[in-house]
Amino acid sequence: MSLRDVSASHIRLISFYQTRYTVRGGAGLVFLMITLVFGLTVAHAVLTPIEQIMAQQAKAGQQSDPQKVVAEIVKLGRPVIQWALGIESDENSPASSDAWTTFLLDDRPALLSVIFLILLFGMPLLISFLAFNQIAGDVQNRGLRYLLLRTERANIFIGRFLGTAFFSTLVIAIIIATITFYLGVNIKIYSAGLLVGWALHGFLALSVLMLPYIAICSWISASVDSPFVSLVLAKLIIGGVWLFALLGSLVWKPAIYLNYALPWGLQNHLLHPQLTHSLGTALACLGYMLVFLFLGYYRFETRDL
Amino acid sequence: MKPVVYTIRINGISKSFGRIQALDSVTFDVPPRSIFGLLGPNGAGKTTLFSVVANFLKANAGSVEVLGIDTRRISQLRGRLSIFPQDAAFQRNVPILNQLVFFRLLGGRTHQEAKEEVMQTLELVGLESVAKRRVGTLSHGMIKRLGIAQAFLGRPEVILLDEPTAGLDPASAHQTRDLIKKLQERGTVMVSSHNLAEIQELCDHVAILDLGKLVFAGSVEAITRADCEYDLELSRPLQNDEVKRLSSLTGLRDIRSMAVVTANGSVGSASYLVTLDVSHDQDAIVAELLRNVLDMGITPRKFTQSRSLEKHFLEVTRGPDSR
Repeated sequence: MSLRDVSASHIRLISFYQTRYTVRGGAGLVFLMITLVFGLTVAHAVLTPIEQIMAQQAKAGQQSDPQKVVAEIVKLGRPVIQWALGIESDENSPASSDAWTTFLLDDRPALLSVIFLILLFGMPLLISFLAFNQIAGDVQNRGLRYLLLRTERANIFIGRFLGTAFFSTLVIAIIIATITFYLGVNIKIYSAGLLVGWALHGFLALSVLMLPYIAICSWISASVDSPFVSLVLAKLIIGGVWLFALLGSLVWKPAIYLNYALPWGLQNHLLHPQLTHSLGTALACLGYMLVFLFLGYYRFETRDL
Repeated sequence: MKPVVYTIRINGISKSFGRIQALDSVTFDVPPRSIFGLLGPNGAGKTTLFSVVANFLKANAGSVEVLGIDTRRISQLRGRLSIFPQDAAFQRNVPILNQLVFFRLLGGRTHQEAKEEVMQTLELVGLESVAKRRVGTLSHGMIKRLGIAQAFLGRPEVILLDEPTAGLDPASAHQTRDLIKKLQERGTVMVSSHNLAEIQELCDHVAILDLGKLVFAGSVEAITRADCEYDLELSRPLQNDEVKRLSSLTGLRDIRSMAVVTANGSVGSASYLVTLDVSHDQDAIVAELLRNVLDMGITPRKFTQSRSLEKHFLEVTRGPDSR
C-alpha cells in the first residue's frame, strides 16, 4: 500500500455513503438526538434565568433592561468562567489576569460564550456516540469484506472518518444556528453582526475540536471487533483522561498535565482573544487528529479483517 | 517473461490464531479457466484460506499470487478478483440496489451504468423484483443469492465462492451451479462446499484440506478414474447367469448388487456398483457392458461415475472419528 493507491474519488464516495447512512443508522440518530437535547438544554439553562428575571420585572411593572440583567448574571458567573479557563484570579491586578474572561464576557456575546464553553466541554464526551462504530461493527459482522477487494483500506478508513466528521459538523451547525437564532430573536442585546461573527467562531472551534476526538474513536473502532467495546473504550479514554487529570491534580498537581494526552488541556484556547493563539490551538487539534489517524490507520492496515 | 500457467498460486501459506494452527504450509496451484473445488471437513481451514487469498487475513508465512500478482498488493487486482465470503453481512437498513450500485461506483462506473449493471446481475440470481427492498427484509436464501450477485458484479476474472449453495433451496442451488459453470467461460472459479456430489459435478480440480494441512490436490478425473467405479441402474434385477456373463467381460472387475426397488409387491429397478479394471480403456468397457445389458432386454436407466470423490475424501481426511 502506498499513497499512490489512495483515491480521492473513493474517499469521497465512502464518506458520502457514511454520512448518508449514518443518519438512517442507529448511531447517527442517537447522536443527533442526544446532541440536540444536550445543546438545547445548555442554552435553556443559560437563557431561562434571564428570561424569567425579565418576565418578573415586566410583571412588576418595571422597565426591563435585558442588558442590565445579563450584566448582573455575568458578574455573578465570572469566577466560574475563570475557573473553567484555568485562570488564577489575581486580586491585585484583576485587569491583567482577566483579559481572556473579559474578552469572552464583555467583548463578545457573553451568553453565547458561556454556551460555547459548556459545549466545548460536553461535546467530546458525546462525540463517541457517533464515532464509535466507524469500523468495529463491520469487522464484527464481516461486512467490510464486500469492500476490501473494491478499494484500499486507507480509503475506507479515511472516508469513514471524513463522513463522520461531516455529520458531526452538520449537527454542530444545527445546534449553534438554533441557539444563535433564538438569542437574536428573544434577547435582543447583541448586534446581529457580533452575534453571527461569534457564532461562526464557536462553530469553527467546535467543529475543529471534534476532529481529534473522532480520530481517536476511529483508532479504537479500527482496533477492536465489537462496537460495544469500542463505545465503552472511547467513553473511558475520553472521559477518563479528564477525570484522572482532575482528581489526580487534587493529590499531585502535575497530574493536570495528563489533560494534554488529549486536547482537553488546550481546547478552551480555541476561544482565546488573540486570533493567532486560537489558530495555533486549532493547528494543535489537527496535530492530535493526524497522530490518532495515523495510529488508527496503521492498525487497520495491518490487522486481520 | 515466463508465461503464467496458473491463475492462483498458493505457496507455503501458514496462518495461526493464537495457538490454533488454521493453515500449515499449504501449497497448490489453481489452473487457468478451471472450476476448482476446495474441500475439507468443518474447521479444516477452507474459509481461512479464502480469506488469506483475498488478503482479509494476513498470512504468518508464505505467499499467494493471483493472475501473477502477489495479493499483498491487492489494489493491483481490483476489478479482476472477487469473492463471495461466507457469513459476511450486508448493511441491514440500506436497500440492496444502493449497496450494489455503491460497489460499482467504486469500480469507476457512472451511476446510470452501475444501476443497469446491478439490475442485470440481480436478474441473473432472480432478485430483480426486490432490488429496492432493504436487506433486513430478505430471507436467508435471498441474502445468500445477493452475496453471489455481488461477487459476479463487474465481470471479474477470478471468483472465490465460499459455500455458495449452502442453505439454498434446490432450485436456487441448481441455478447457482449453472451460473458457476457459465463463469468458467470467462475466468477461473474457486469454490468450497461440503456437498461432494456438487463439487464432483462442477469442478475439474480439487484440493482437500484437513486440520489446516493440504492432503490432496489434483484433478477430479484423476480421482474418479483411479477408482473406476460406476453406479448402474437397470429396469430389472440381473439373474445369476446374467451377472456371470457380465462379470466375464474383459476389463470388468466386479459387479455388485446395491439395491432393488420394489413397488406394490412387484420387483422394479435395481442398482449395481460396477468396478472396472484400471489398466483397460474404460470407455470401451463401458460400451461393451451397456451393449450386453441391452442384448439381455434390460433398459439401463442410469449410468454415472460413482461417488468416488466422497470415498477419496473420507480416506484422506481420516473421517469424522479423528475429530
